[in-house]
Amino acid sequence: MKVGLFVTCLVDLMRPGIGFAALRLLEAAGCEVVVPPAQTCCGQPGYNSGDRKAAKALALKVIEEFDGCDYVVLPSGSCAGMIRVHYPALFKDDPAVIESIKRLSARTYELTDFLVNIAKLQNIPGDYSGSLTYHDSCSGLREMGVQAQPRALLARIPGVKLTEMRESTTCCGFGGTFSVKFGEISTRMADNKCAHIAQTGAGAIVAGDLGCLLNIEGRLRRRGDLDTRVLHIAEVLAGEDACK
Amino acid sequence: MIARENILARIGKARGPGAAVDVDMAIRRRQRGPIPAMEKDLVKLFSERAVKLASDVAQAGTVTEVPGLIARYLRERDLPMKGVSWPAMAPFGWRDAGIEIEARAARGDDLVGVTGAFLGIAETGTLMLLSGARTPATVSLLPETHIAVIEAGRIVATMEQAWDRLRVERGALPRAVNFISGPSRTADIEQTVTLGAHGPYRVLIIIVG
Amino acid sequence: MQVTAMHFKRKAGENLCNEKLQKALEKLQTKFVDGRAAAIAELPNFEEVRDAATDIRDKVIRNLDRYLLRFEQEATARGAVVHWAETGDEVNRIVAEIAHQHGLHKAVKSKSMVSEECGLNDALESQGLDVLETDLGEYILQLAHEPPSHIVAPVVHKSKEEIADLFEEKHHRTRTTQIAELCREAREVLRPGFLSADLGISGANFIIAETGSVLIVTNEGNGRLATTLPRVHVAITGIEKVVPTLEDVTTLLRLLPRSATGQSITNYVSVLTGTKEKGESDGPEHFHIILLDNGRSKLLGTELQPMLRCIRCGACMNHCPVYQNIGGHAYGWVYPGPMGSVLTPSFAGLENALDLPNASTFCGECAVVCPVKIPLPDLLRHLRTRQVEQRLRPWPERAALRLWSWMAQRPAVYALGTRLAARLLRAFSGSAQRFHYLPGVTGWTSGRDMPAPAGRTFRDLYNSRRSS
Repeated sequence: MKVGLFVTCLVDLMRPGIGFAALRLLEAAGCEVVVPPAQTCCGQPGYNSGDRKAAKALALKVIEEFDGCDYVVLPSGSCAGMIRVHYPALFKDDPAVIESIKRLSARTYELTDFLVNIAKLQNIPGDYSGSLTYHDSCSGLREMGVQAQPRALLARIPGVKLTEMRESTTCCGFGGTFSVKFGEISTRMADNKCAHIAQTGAGAIVAGDLGCLLNIEGRLRRRGDLDTRVLHIAEVLAGEDACK
Repeated sequence: MIARENILARIGKARGPGAAVDVDMAIRRRQRGPIPAMEKDLVKLFSERAVKLASDVAQAGTVTEVPGLIARYLRERDLPMKGVSWPAMAPFGWRDAGIEIEARAARGDDLVGVTGAFLGIAETGTLMLLSGARTPATVSLLPETHIAVIEAGRIVATMEQAWDRLRVERGALPRAVNFISGPSRTADIEQTVTLGAHGPYRVLIIIVG
Repeated sequence: MQVTAMHFKRKAGENLCNEKLQKALEKLQTKFVDGRAAAIAELPNFEEVRDAATDIRDKVIRNLDRYLLRFEQEATARGAVVHWAETGDEVNRIVAEIAHQHGLHKAVKSKSMVSEECGLNDALESQGLDVLETDLGEYILQLAHEPPSHIVAPVVHKSKEEIADLFEEKHHRTRTTQIAELCREAREVLRPGFLSADLGISGANFIIAETGSVLIVTNEGNGRLATTLPRVHVAITGIEKVVPTLEDVTTLLRLLPRSATGQSITNYVSVLTGTKEKGESDGPEHFHIILLDNGRSKLLGTELQPMLRCIRCGACMNHCPVYQNIGGHAYGWVYPGPMGSVLTPSFAGLENALDLPNASTFCGECAVVCPVKIPLPDLLRHLRTRQVEQRLRPWPERAALRLWSWMAQRPAVYALGTRLAARLLRAFSGSAQRFHYLPGVTGWTSGRDMPAPAGRTFRDLYNSRRSS
């Protein structure tokens, strides 16, 4: 299985460790992993802001870059959703391109979904020990059907004690540029999420999308919580040494 | 007239050249939607669902038992032993049961109203009442207590079945078909459900037979 | 109603700090969200019914004119008068004419959001007509001179204490905060209004082409009273509310109350056809039905067409995390939440509601709960695209996005730019490795710290590891 890893722009810029964690997990599952070097961004920021032209240009670039991979895997529900759900919508009136878009779409996966359902990862490298709670990122949940998969993987780490928070599926308030344009509303939504996290007493909050994690971390620290760890699911599953 | 033409023109233009459906034929088909599975004992289901929606339900073997049942219900709740009813209920043995009933439309100060019902719908525990000269709507609406008498055989499973019966038995729709599912209520204040808004505070359904 | 959607951001900010409102909004979760979930769970074939309901609405929208004409034909045959209006002002004029024609002075009104679009009450009152709202929530709003903040629960934003104060002031009775007593008080105050009114005004949840009927769902009984006692009944509705048959409306009724209030059925469902019959003691002598366009037909044939499926249940706003935090008034017109964020720009002008389609994270919960599968996030995104096409976005935003897209299409430039940004931001973030303040993204840093990047990009690290 030749897997193209699309680390995503946020991971590349902010938390490269998540990219390496994803890499380790895919290799542990027996995949041959390539990281197409020209990858940049899936086009979601432009698309959600109403710039379809820019989004289309980036989509065509992505098709080319990942040509030759059996699968395209992303450590992000929202970027994976962009490719799987929104690329076909973007090109629905483009008969010349729609077929190759659909082919790309059909082989694009969010990381935990891929590990559980396609690669069928057996041995989880990480040995996390501690209590944690899980936030269901919106696109991952509603566009990519990611909900049981991360929990199934976490359940296989003996040291992990997972406590579900209230309203784990409620949006954290990130929403891309929404977090800056409507900062007050976004902050309140993040604050609500932090309150639910605090109620669980868990030592760490885990999610599958870095946008959510940065938003939640930002609010936790501003609230004075310097202790709750904020981790991407890949980091927990791959082990801390994989992230360096 | 101009508004009508403009609106229709805009709609027609937006549809474009595609063939429009024969709506008369589509309507004639009267296609039913998906119907939820339901238990077979319709009287039982109707009673359960009606109670769930805060109606009181009682059973009577025959119509002669009805006034006595109502008298007991009113007495138990310290309610006045007088009210109004549909003309069809006038011959019931009210006086023997100690209840004063006038067969007329209700006024603002009438406190008890007794009606029949065209059908009962088991799916939701709902009464279906038809307007008419002999079935004044005010009797089920203005008084604080509404009592409905329905024959067990007039309880159908779904609203779909109710429409079919109405079409067969009456032909056209009357001026008003009112589906009633319990006492009037509101939750406008702090989303707290309160029974008794502008209509009745309580509904008693007596199933006969 | 006047549009104040251009003040969305400011009002949202105020509402976030309004403790009374915040407390009131907590009720949305238990009553509406949990209520709906329980009611849907009781319907064993919910998704099937949802598919059927969506098909019914789409079928109508594709042939809207023909179904409206059939409705008009049937309603007229039963003695109703059908009027068509392109704008809210036309509706107001028609109702005023009807009042004049029949010598009417006092109206009782059962809730109608369409009448809010028109500003009907004010228009009628300026013509000397007395208008009394009878839906408890709408009555409270009438006393308070406020618009509704939710399409189903109009005073969800008020506490019982606030309502008690209002009643004490207006009714001159002993103040009570007991909800049951407040309801009884409203009943006693409003009942004489029902009995003495000569005009009943209502909306219509649906109109039925097969029979020319108007269908109204209520819980309070005010809908029945307002359409039974006065001698003239006027029903006002949007043209998209037509449904082909009684069977179709029955399917939709399996979803509307469950989605709106968590009820299996509303207390009263009234199907009204024509005028008082021979020998009847109640019912209107005259029945007027007004079909309003007000921008609906313009959605046909566009990407926004699915919005016309809407059955006005309110589930979208109940489940919207943005609405749950800011309430309905911030949206600045008749319809709040996700559906309002599509309808207000569409009916009241894109340029008058620039923030509404943007004040969404596209979490998608609205689309999940919509009983007729309206793809609300897609519609909001389409409105954002229209804003870009019409050059309605502020230039710094356009510039930033253009820069980002330009860079992202040029990997070498991108690699350099991100390498620099990662290094610089890391360097400036201090020992805490986060920013308390960051120019350009103060919307974020006013309420949250901004974590600093790790310092080197994945691209850099991956390349250097591969070459070693």
